[in-house]
Formats: sequence, C-alpha cells, structure tokens
Amino acid sequence: MMKLKSILVSKILSNMRAIFRIPVWILVLWIGIIVQTEAVEGKLYIDITSPSMKRISIAIPDFRYLGERNEHPDLGSTLSGIMSNDLDLSGYFRPLDKASFIERPGSGFTRDSIHFKDWSVIGAELLVKGVYECIGQQLKVEVRLFDVFSGKQLYGKRALGLVDQSRYLIHRLGNEIIQALAGHAGPFLTKMAFVGTSTGHKEIYICDYDGHNLKQLTSYNTITLSPRWSPIGDRMIYTTFRNSATVLFMNDIVKGSATKISDRKGLNIAAAWRPNGEELALTLTISGNPDIYLIDTTGKILRRLTKHWGIDVSPTFSPDGKKMAFVSNRSGSPQIYVLDLISNQVERVTFEGNYNTSPAWSKLDRIAFAGSLNAQFDIFTISSDGGDLHSVTQGQGNNENPCWSPDGRYIAFSSNRTGGNYHIFIANANGQNQRQVTFFEGDQFSPSWAQHSK
Amino acid sequence: MKRNLIIATMVVFAVSSIFLLCSCAKKQVVAEEEEITAPPVGPEVVIVEEEELPAVEVAKEVVEEEEVVETYDIGLPEEREVEAVEEGLAAKFEGKSIYFDFDKSFIKPEYRPVLEEKAALLKDNPDIHVRIEGNCDERGTNEYNIALGERRANSAKSFLVSLGISPDRVETISYGEERPLFLGHDEDSWSKNRRDDFLIIGE
Repeated sequence: MMKLKSILVSKILSNMRAIFRIPVWILVLWIGIIVQTEAVEGKLYIDITSPSMKRISIAIPDFRYLGERNEHPDLGSTLSGIMSNDLDLSGYFRPLDKASFIERPGSGFTRDSIHFKDWSVIGAELLVKGVYECIGQQLKVEVRLFDVFSGKQLYGKRALGLVDQSRYLIHRLGNEIIQALAGHAGPFLTKMAFVGTSTGHKEIYICDYDGHNLKQLTSYNTITLSPRWSPIGDRMIYTTFRNSATVLFMNDIVKGSATKISDRKGLNIAAAWRPNGEELALTLTISGNPDIYLIDTTGKILRRLTKHWGIDVSPTFSPDGKKMAFVSNRSGSPQIYVLDLISNQVERVTFEGNYNTSPAWSKLDRIAFAGSLNAQFDIFTISSDGGDLHSVTQGQGNNENPCWSPDGRYIAFSSNRTGGNYHIFIANANGQNQRQVTFFEGDQFSPSWAQHSK
Repeated sequence: MKRNLIIATMVVFAVSSIFLLCSCAKKQVVAEEEEITAPPVGPEVVIVEEEELPAVEVAKEVVEEEEVVETYDIGLPEEREVEAVEEGLAAKFEGKSIYFDFDKSFIKPEYRPVLEEKAALLKDNPDIHVRIEGNCDERGTNEYNIALGERRANSAKSFLVSLGISPDRVETISYGEERPLFLGHDEDSWSKNRRDDFLIIGE
C-alpha cells in the first residue's frame, strides 16, 4: 500500500515537473525565435529593390534517403535537381556544381551535424539540405536552408505528398525559400501557355513555368494564336482560324469546355483580359477597320474603345483596369499607345524605333513590348507614361511576344537565339538571367503566364 | 488543478506569441516565417512543421480534347473548290498575286494593271465570286500582321469595287504572317510573302 502510494506521489511529482518544464521550454523557443529573427534581419539576403543583383552562391547536395528500405533511390538527385533548377531560374541564386562538393562523410542534415567549413571553403554562401522518405507512393520531404557563415538555419519545413507530386512539393518549398529570403513568394507554381507548331499546325499548349508537364490544349488542326490566361488562371482565350475566318474562343480549363465568344464578320483577334476577369478587349473589323472593342465574356459588345483609320491591335490592361495599352499605326508605323478608359485620352508612349508592338502591362506597372531598330526585334520595358526605357534583350536573335509573370517580377518571351526555331525564355524583369524553358519540337511562341488556378 | 495550470500556461504562451509575432511582423519581411522555423535549441524541439498538402489532381487540369475539338480545315490552296470554274479562267484570275511594301497596304502603281485585268475578268464572268487573301512577311507580331493582311486584302477589294465590281462578289481574309510561300529570313523571301492572293471560290 505504502509502496503504491509512493509510486503515485512520485508519478504526480514527475508530472508536475513535466508541467513546470513547459514554460522553460517555451522560453527557450522564444529565445530561439528572437535570436533568429534578429540574425535574419541583420543580414539582407536578397534586396529586390537593387537594380542589379549579385546572385547568391548556393549548394544543394542530393537529398538523402532516410527510410529503411531504399525505395526510389533516384529521387535524391531528382529532388535536389528540381530545387536547383527553380532557384537558378529565380535569378537570385547561383547553384554550385555538385562536382565541387567535398563534404566529409557522416555529415548530417541538422545544424549540429553539418561541417559548415566544408561548404564555405567551396564558396557556398547558403546550403540547402534535404532528406526524404517513401512508403509506397507516399513521399515525405524535409528541407532546411542554412547560412554557411553563421551556421544558422534560415528555413525548415517538411512536406508530405505523393511521389508523382514531387515537382509540386519542391516548387512549393522553393516558393517559401524565396519568401523567406526576399519577402515575396517565388514563381515556381505558375503556368505557361504558348503557341506550338510541333503537329504541323499552330495549337495552344500549356505547361509548368519551367516547361514541364506539357499538355496540348487545342486540336483544331488549323492556325490558333494569342493564348491569354484569365487573371486567376481558370480560363484561356485564343483566336483560331475557322472556315477562313478568325474566331475568338474561351476554354474553361477546369471543366475542359470550349465556348465561342466572338465570330463577327472580319477579324476577331488578339483579345486581352481586363483584370476583373469579366471583360475582354479585342480587335474587330465590323466597322471596316481594325478597332478595339470591349466585350463581356459572353461576347456582347460593351463599348468601342478605339475609332481611328489606322490599325489598332494587341490591347493590354493596366493592373487597375482603368487604362489600356495597344498597338496602332496611326502615326505611320506601329507604336504603343495608352488609352485612359475614363477620360478617353490617348497618348503615344513609344518613340524610339520604327516598329514597336506587342505590349504587356505588368502588375508592377511596367509595359514590356517588342521593338525593332534594325530588322531585329528586342524586348524593352517602359514605365506606363513612356519614360524609363530599359532593354531586356540585346540582339540575341529575334526576341518577341513578351509577357509578365503574374507578380510582374519576371518576363517571358519567344526567341530564336538558339538558331532556327523560336522557344520560350524567361528572365528577371530587368533582363538579368535569361533562361530557355521550352525545348520542344518546332516553334514555341506567344507565351502567356498565369498563377496556379488552385 | 493540473489542467488549470496547463491551460494557464498555454494562454500565456498564446498571448505572448501574438505579441511577439505582432512586434516582428512589420520589421522585415524575411522574418515572417519564423514562427514555423524555430532553430534547433534542444533535442526536444521540433524544428520543422508538418504540412499536409492537398492531393494534387493533375488530371483535372487537363482539358479533355474530345470535348473541345471539332476539326476545322481551312484548306490548302490546291484543295480549294475550283472544279465548277473553267480551268483557263482560274489560271488567269489566280495566276498573279500583287505585292506590298513592308508595313504598307496601299496598292503600288505597278500592280494596278494586274487588278484592272482581274476586274475585267470579273466583268466578263458575272457569276463568279472571289476571295482575296492578305499575307505578310514574318516580321512583327502575328496579331498586327493579321490586321495588316486584312488591310492589304481590303485595299485590293476597294480597288476592284472602284472599277465597278460589286462588293458582294469579293470576300476577304487575312492570314497575317501564318502562310508564307517562301521560308527564308531575308528581304527576298519577305518581299514575296507580302502579297494578296486571288481565288475563285465559286459561281
């Protein structure tokens, strides 16, 4: 009896001790948070306001398998490869060559078990350590980001999903790494649409921002052009040639249905979404001349936006939807103009060069366009009032059809710089870090970039 | 008693955490994620947050082609219906295209006789209907070039109409830069691609 009592007492006591330990535990956690917060604040890793950025050297060794059975051993390099490609494409990082890694065996993946000297000596500023486990199709990935010099952990997260979703999982973790270091999410879960010619016809294709997961969206077997994602990426509009005429269609990406929006006599081309996702601008020739009209998503004309003897095409709306840039040859050559939809004032915004076309208005209020100074086309950006001209490409082949990432931090365009065919390239908004992301047969051009619809 | 203590402790933690997070939030965006990424301060601290991701149903995103597709064939030149029309007439009417300057849609003087000849053929054969197809070279955007091709086709149509041809007998279409006859990337090819083609589409 006494013995039982003493066991009970000691149990209660030990429980009490456990309870009293909690505040201490919390306190330790707090200190951890505070110390770390100050440490990260003390060092600005990615200054997005800087006009030109030095890329951070980052080491991303193959992810290590943690489980008992060595299922999917190839995933170790696949996962690190996806993350390395993402961080490279972001333009903020310079992933180091794996051949230069000299980490001693027995090193772990937590702060205490990493020999940071092994990484600083090869020039790494940051280190990503990843481990994974698989049970059948289930995949668990854990990623930690360290500052090599201070040995501090800057980010750590575990993500669960299926092996088939590994690209998605890594893109998501990558987005958060960008968020942690730059203060905005990365672009790794965005989608691209473009016109592709691999079937011998021109069709619309969609893929991930990095060119993976390619799907053919249309199969009209004719000429289909000008894909434009809706603002939230749930619908796509495009123009297709049908019975010797141009028709504007809209695809519901989720339901998989295609609806005819406008098949008026003459042209029905180059439509653009207003940011509210409820209105479109497109060029019609019902008056006998190519002019831009505002229609709703059922095709009903709401308003005629331009009325001029010249060609008016390729509308694109400002982020607030109150202005529209477009191409007009009213001055004798194609130039970019901005229409104020409230005052109806039109202002020309491009003056350099004799052929400026294909405007795209970013969420950060810059207008990208393709311009030609001497037969060759290059991508330029200007502020929405026409000032601050900046060249994105500098004569690496022809560079055309610019579009912006949903957040306005990246620019995509088609270029034939590799010789012959056009492929899609992406770059930072300032033109740094230009990378090819589509490598498919035939041409890929006219990109449109959207956020993931979910 | 024990439970109260736990609750009290948790409340203290929650309130303090909110205070802590609020005080950090504004300072620097890079610090925002810290509440889920506490550094390893002891073996018992869980460093990483578990996050259950929603199942990604990639299949849903795929548009099922069967639902979308009807196939439209715009037809290649050699497949077009001309059997109703006399061979010689087709050859005469369709044989000569007219050509344009870069980024221009006016009819150059040297092509006026070509259009006058076509107008005469239309007058001699009052039952035929024709189509003018405007085309551009590859330079510039597809969108602008479709509009430019439309203007080139309309220029020729207006010219024919000015010579007394009924506009109802002449339809126009623009293929922009989509159907070049010559695939070179030089002025020689470009000049031959900036053209109006003429077709008899029926009686």
